[in-house]
This record gives sequence, structure tokens and C-alpha cells, in this order.
Amino acid sequence: MIMEGRRTFGLLLAIVVTFAIAPLLAILYYTFVSDGQLDFSKISRMFENDRMWHTLGNSLLLGLLVILGTTIIALPMALIRTKTSLFKFDWLDIILTIPFMTPPYIGSMGWILFMQNNGFLQQLIPGAAWMSDYFFSLFGMVMVMSLHLFPFLYLMLRNTLLRINGSFLDAARIFGRNPWRNWAKIVLPLLVSSYVLGVLLIFIKTLAEFGTPATFGSRIGFQVFTTEIHSYLSRWPVDISMATSLSLFLLSVCLIIWYFQNLIGRKNTYSVLSGKTQAGREVKEGWYIKLGSWLYVGIVLLLSIGVPYFSIIVTSLQKVRGDGLSAGNFDLASYQAVFTSGSAGLSAFLNSVVFSFITAIVTAVIGLFIALYIKKGETKKQQALDFFSLMPNIIPGIVFVVGLIMFWNSPWLPATIYNTKAMAVVTYCVLFLPYSVQYIKSSLSQLDQSIFQSAAIFGRNSWDVYRCIFIPLLMRGILAGMMMTFIISMRELVAGLLILPPSVETGATFIYSQFEQGNVGLGMAVAVITVAMTVVFMFLLDWLQKRGGRVGA
Amino acid sequence: MKKRGLKMIATVGALLTLALAGCGNGNSANKEVEASAEPKEINTLTVYSSGPDGLAANVQQAFEEKTGMKVEMFQGTTGKILSRLEAEKNNPVADVVVLASVASMDGMKESNQLQSFKDAENADQINSNWSDADGFYYGYSASALGIAYNTKNAKVAPIEWSDLSKSEWKDKINIPDPSLSGSAVDFIYGYTEAEKSGWDIIQSWKTNGLQVNGANKEALDSVITGDKDATISGVDYMAYKAKADGEPVEIVYPKSGTIVSPRAVGIMKDAKNVKGAQAYVNFLLSDEGQKLVTNAYLLPGNKEIQVKDRAALDEIPQLSVNWKGAETKQIDILTKFNDIFQ
Repeated sequence: MIMEGRRTFGLLLAIVVTFAIAPLLAILYYTFVSDGQLDFSKISRMFENDRMWHTLGNSLLLGLLVILGTTIIALPMALIRTKTSLFKFDWLDIILTIPFMTPPYIGSMGWILFMQNNGFLQQLIPGAAWMSDYFFSLFGMVMVMSLHLFPFLYLMLRNTLLRINGSFLDAARIFGRNPWRNWAKIVLPLLVSSYVLGVLLIFIKTLAEFGTPATFGSRIGFQVFTTEIHSYLSRWPVDISMATSLSLFLLSVCLIIWYFQNLIGRKNTYSVLSGKTQAGREVKEGWYIKLGSWLYVGIVLLLSIGVPYFSIIVTSLQKVRGDGLSAGNFDLASYQAVFTSGSAGLSAFLNSVVFSFITAIVTAVIGLFIALYIKKGETKKQQALDFFSLMPNIIPGIVFVVGLIMFWNSPWLPATIYNTKAMAVVTYCVLFLPYSVQYIKSSLSQLDQSIFQSAAIFGRNSWDVYRCIFIPLLMRGILAGMMMTFIISMRELVAGLLILPPSVETGATFIYSQFEQGNVGLGMAVAVITVAMTVVFMFLLDWLQKRGGRVGA
Repeated sequence: MKKRGLKMIATVGALLTLALAGCGNGNSANKEVEASAEPKEINTLTVYSSGPDGLAANVQQAFEEKTGMKVEMFQGTTGKILSRLEAEKNNPVADVVVLASVASMDGMKESNQLQSFKDAENADQINSNWSDADGFYYGYSASALGIAYNTKNAKVAPIEWSDLSKSEWKDKINIPDPSLSGSAVDFIYGYTEAEKSGWDIIQSWKTNGLQVNGANKEALDSVITGDKDATISGVDYMAYKAKADGEPVEIVYPKSGTIVSPRAVGIMKDAKNVKGAQAYVNFLLSDEGQKLVTNAYLLPGNKEIQVKDRAALDEIPQLSVNWKGAETKQIDILTKFNDIFQ
């Protein structure tokens, strides 16, 4: 079949190498080679820099604290959603993913506006002024980041708990002793492996995060790797070689963590899927458990969605920001300004839509071919391609962006896409290819082996087989991957800040620059529109997956 | 067989690269085609401007209407523009550069990045203190730096720089980050150059809880929303603009003197569209351009033009600062400042 040929491999590899690997090689090259000679002075300059060690300390500390923060939020939430009567309310899962889908810089801007001196909190409850001092510290930053990242850990834990719930617990109930012992001996060990995997990913995501450190961190003077790299590239005096050295270092840290994650993942995977359908069960619980659970869910939702969204929406509606929350101080002027044809905000927003849409299509096509080639990843080549295509998930976005800038600015390139809109699309494609590969791979893994066999026997030629059988069957996965890519591309900030050509802004850079230079109300109006669209897309995504489940069953 | 396979891979890879690059790039590809179709005159002008958002957009619009030229505008802080120019050294794009700091502009002239345009129209009307004698750049506008404060929250208006070391301003003051804001570098340079006790006072602000707060607008914004009470080295036109919008903000210029930070325009040495660039400079210096400047509450480079709802240049007490060689000293200033605040 076509997808197994050597040519296909070469072609796919060529694409991945040009777009994903070459930028990383460019970073290596610029760090270690100057004037054609091997040169370690740049990298040693970095290691001699006290500031770098300080930043490293900050980044790692932040990562650990965010692990703690997300655990505190996600673990009880996962238990509540599986062990109490709240397990029936599946809509909660969609709501709970909204914080993760909210662009992090918007969320933290919302928190800043809410908590700052004379901010919304103090206007609502004047007695709460003492909270501000405590909030604008590392604690506040960890809280904001945990509230953004917890859905990720929550979903992983919940899925594991759901799977354990079935026959394992029945067996435990019959043969085991008391419930606590059962829990400690059976559920916990099974949960630990997926917990460790989850928190390592959280750790990597925290290291890679740019939005919150750039907005909140700069306010409390907490520098991390991503903001340092960004400021070496965009603040005067510029130090490009320092930026590449730091990128390389960050890249190595992430790869090491990823290696450990793989090690743990391989050792501690238990097959908990027995194929037995889980019978719906009645949960008997006291009123206090029910009340406590709802209270907990309510508080988490209030903090993760309520507060930031309140600030964003109120700011976008304010007439005079110095007058705060007073009656008559609200109108729709910012929205009118955005929706005036030709306004900077609208064109920035539309740019985002166009870039994200093209990215979604391109990654879907490439992702489809890669997924079809990889299948279950049995051969070395398949595994290699799998690894390369998922790499952007492990490597912080800013590292790729630095690499792409270096690569596409190389003097030996005959033509370059730098300073064109294509640069934005290519960057997005590289950064977000893993999403579409993963979605399509998982929907491919659901196809039964018999489909492949009968297709091979009865199909006319391989193209027809793909066109008439596989692509329609995989369509749901493809669409879901496209939507996810679209949502994520819409909110990408750091790529936009560093690579967009003159006159071009995306929604994200527009919002960010309104905070720096312009009209915050206008920026927040664009933020509200972006977020509203994201939420609509999320419900579409959910609907697509649900419908998929029913049809596919 | 193996060889053929490799060749195939290489060809296909290259083709795909091109195809991919092309597909995301419908717009600019078309533009390039159009541009090469009429080789006589380049019709786009690339401007890197750190001007205030509104002004840059208005100038762009008026200029496009007048000349029919298309302006590609990159907006950013002075720091961002300088670093972008640095990153693009291998393939420069900008034709015209507008910076909010004459010292940086002078640095660009010294490092041979600008070209002279002596015959600019109206050049003799423009404030010669703000411009280069050899015509490498023109100070077409300026902002004065003062103390912007929140009229609702501040109990008494500040009068002198040193007032802000007093306890009533404890934890209530901020300053724009000089590595982002060209005018803040100018301020710190000028202030410490002219005042012997400059660094001591900066240190006393730090002890009094001075926060370094992003770009100019970010710093002013936290005064507008009441997070802080006063911004040191607040850019006056932003304060006037906010005041006109009804925000509770006022700006004062200390009697002991302050810094006037000119914004200058210059033409890049590697400019592809020199004619367009010269037309752009002419437009900024023309009465029409200068009126747009005053509409943005800035000080015009041409004294004959009336200012709008703000203090005129001769009403602002100025520190006497020697700006020669400021650019190189500024890096030291920046390091010293960062050492104090980080």
C-alpha cells in the first residue's frame, strides 16, 4: 500500500525535517559555531551568567509549585466527578476545560485587573485590600497558572479513575478487606502512574509557558526562561546568541524530563481496559458530601472562570476606567470601535482567523499522512516519524520560534519566507502539528484490524481505499484535530510577537500591545470576542465527539 | 535504486517546501508579482514607528491618501524596533524609522545605519536642538516627561521629583521600564547627567517602593485604574489624551526641570524606496503633518504650530543635558538601573 512505501517515508520525513528539525539544528549551529569555527565561548558565557542560574531556579521552582497547585485543584475534582453523584453531569467536563482553552495571558490580565490596588475586588469588597499584597507574589502567579493548567491533569486522572472503577473495584470489594485498604493497595498504585505522567507534562507546560510570566511575572519581577529568551530577542540591547544559548538549554531540560516521563510510562502501564462496559451505578451519599462537592466545584469554577472573565468583560465595557464599577460607566463603545470596518482590532482578529484556518487545514493533511504511516508504530521508521512529529509538544514554543527565525534568516537560503505572512502559518503548523497527529492517530486506533484486511482484499486500488474508506472513517478525528488546532492557533502569542511582518497583527499580539501602548478596553473587547469564539468551537468539538461515539458504536 | 530514492526524496521535499510556503502566502506572493510587474516605481514604503498608535495610523492614512503609496507599518516600542532592526541585519526591510529617543537615533547615525536627507522641506522650521545638523534625522515631535498622578487617589499633587521619596507615596509610584521605553532611558540619562544627586534620588524611590512597570502606557494605566498613584517619567501626551477621555489623571512638570524627549524620523541607509521615504519625512515636517502631531497632544517640531490642550514648550522647565555621546553611555545607565531594580 502507498502509505508503507519508502517514498512516503522519505517525503513525510522531508517535510518534518525541513520544518521541525531544521530550526532546532539552526539553534545548535548558532550556539556552537561562529565564523565557521567551533566555538564554546557563547555557551560558557551563558553558564557564567549568574542571572541564568537564577532564572533556571525560578523556572524549576515555578514548575514544582504549579504541580502542587494543579494537584490540589485537580485531584479532588477528579474524585468528585467519579465517586460522587456528580458523575452524571458530563457537561461539567466541557466547562472545566474552558480555563485551559482561555489564552493564559488574557486570564492573568483578568486576574491582575481584579486583584490590583483599587481593582475590581477592592471596589466590590473594600475590606479585601490586604489580599492584594499577598496575591502579587509567587503565590498569585502559581495560583493563576494552576487555575489555567489544572484541566489537563484533571482529565487524565478522571479517565484513569473511570477505568479503574469497573471490574477492579468489584473484585476488590469481594476479595479485599476494608475500603481504605482497597483504595491504598489497588486504586492508588493504578492512579500513580497516570498522575506522574500528568504532572511531568504539567511541568513541561509550565516551563514552556510565556503568557502568564510575561504579564504577571514581569509585574512581580519573577523572570523565567521564556521571558528571558523573549527579552534578549526583543529588548534593547539585543543579544541573539544569548537567546539561542538559553533556548538550547531549555530544550535540553525539557528533553530530559520527557525521557524520564517515557521511562515511567513504559514501566508502569497497567492495562486497565478490560472491555467490560461499566454499568451505571447508583451512588448513595450523605447530603454533606453532595453539598461539599458542589461547593468545591463552584469555588473552582468561580476562580478559574468567574474572576478572569468578569474582569475582561467589565473592562471591555467601561467608559472611564478611572471611575471603576459605577453605574452609568458602561457602554459598547469598544465593541463598536472593533467592529468598525478596517479597524486595527478587527483586521488583527481576522488575521488570526485566517492563519489558524490555514494552519488547521495544512496540519490536518500532513497529520493524516503521518498518522496513516505510523499506524501502531511497530517499525523503527514509524517510531522515528512518530517521535519527530510529536516533538513540538515537548519542546517549548519559544524555542521553535527562535529556531525558525534563525533558520529562515540564514544568509545561504535562496529565498526566505521571513517577514511574510507565510512565516506565521509555517510557525503555527510546526507548533501545532502534534495535535492533529494525535487526534487522527487515536481515531485510527479505534478502527478494527478487519477493516484494513477487507479493504486490502476488496479495494480496487489503494487511493480508492483511502478515499472511500479510511478518510471517511477518520473524518471525525480529522475534524476534531482541526478544531483543536484552530483554537490553539487563535491564542498563540509568543510566535506572533517575534515573527510577524510589519503591518500584520494577530488577535493575540493586538491584545498584548493594547496593554503595552494603547487602549486596554479595546484589547479586552477583542479578547472577549476571541474567547467567545473559542467556547463556541469547544461545544462544537464536544458535539462532534459525542455524535462520533454514537455513530461509531 | 537507493540513489534514485534519495533523489526522489530530495526533489519532492524541495517541491513541497515551495508549495507549502506558497499556500500560506497567497497575499504577499501576489504582491511580489505585482511589484515585479511594474519595476519603475516601488509603491510600498516600510515604516518602523514607535509613534503613538493613533498618530502613526493617522499619519499613515493621510500620507497614503496624499501620495497613493502603500505604507507597511510596524509599530512597537523603541526597544522593540531597535532589536528588530538588529535581528533583520541580514535582510533589511525598513525604509523609514521613527524612534522615540534622539539618543538612539544618533546611535544609528553613528553606526552608519542612516542616510542623510538635507533637502527636507520645512527643515529650517524644525527645532534644531532635536534634529541632526547633517540631516540624518529630524525631531518632528516631542513629548515632555513629568509626574502623572491620579487626581482621585493622590491627596496632594506632587511638585518635585524628590517628593516621591516621601512616605505618602510609599508603594504608590512606578516608572516605565527603560529597556522598553525610549523616553524612560532619556529621562534616566538626562536626570542623572544634570542632577548630581540623581542616582541617590532614584535609589530613594526604590526604597519607597518604586515599581518598574512595562512600557509607557502600562505604567500610566496602573495610575489610571488607581493601582498606583503616580508615574515618574510619565509621557505627557498620553496623560493629556487620557485626561481628554475623562480619566482622573493630571501631569505636572517639576520646577527643577525635566526632560523633553524628541521623537525623530530618519531614512535607513539600505532603504529600497528612498523617494517614498523622503516623501514621508517631508510629510511629517509639513504643516499638515505637524497638525496631526498636535492633535495627538504632542509638542510639534515646528514652533509656529499651535499646541492643543497642553503646555507649550516654553512653559516646561527643562534640565540642561549634554546629549553628545548619550547612546553609548545609555547602555551603562541601563545596566546600572537594572542592577538597582533586579
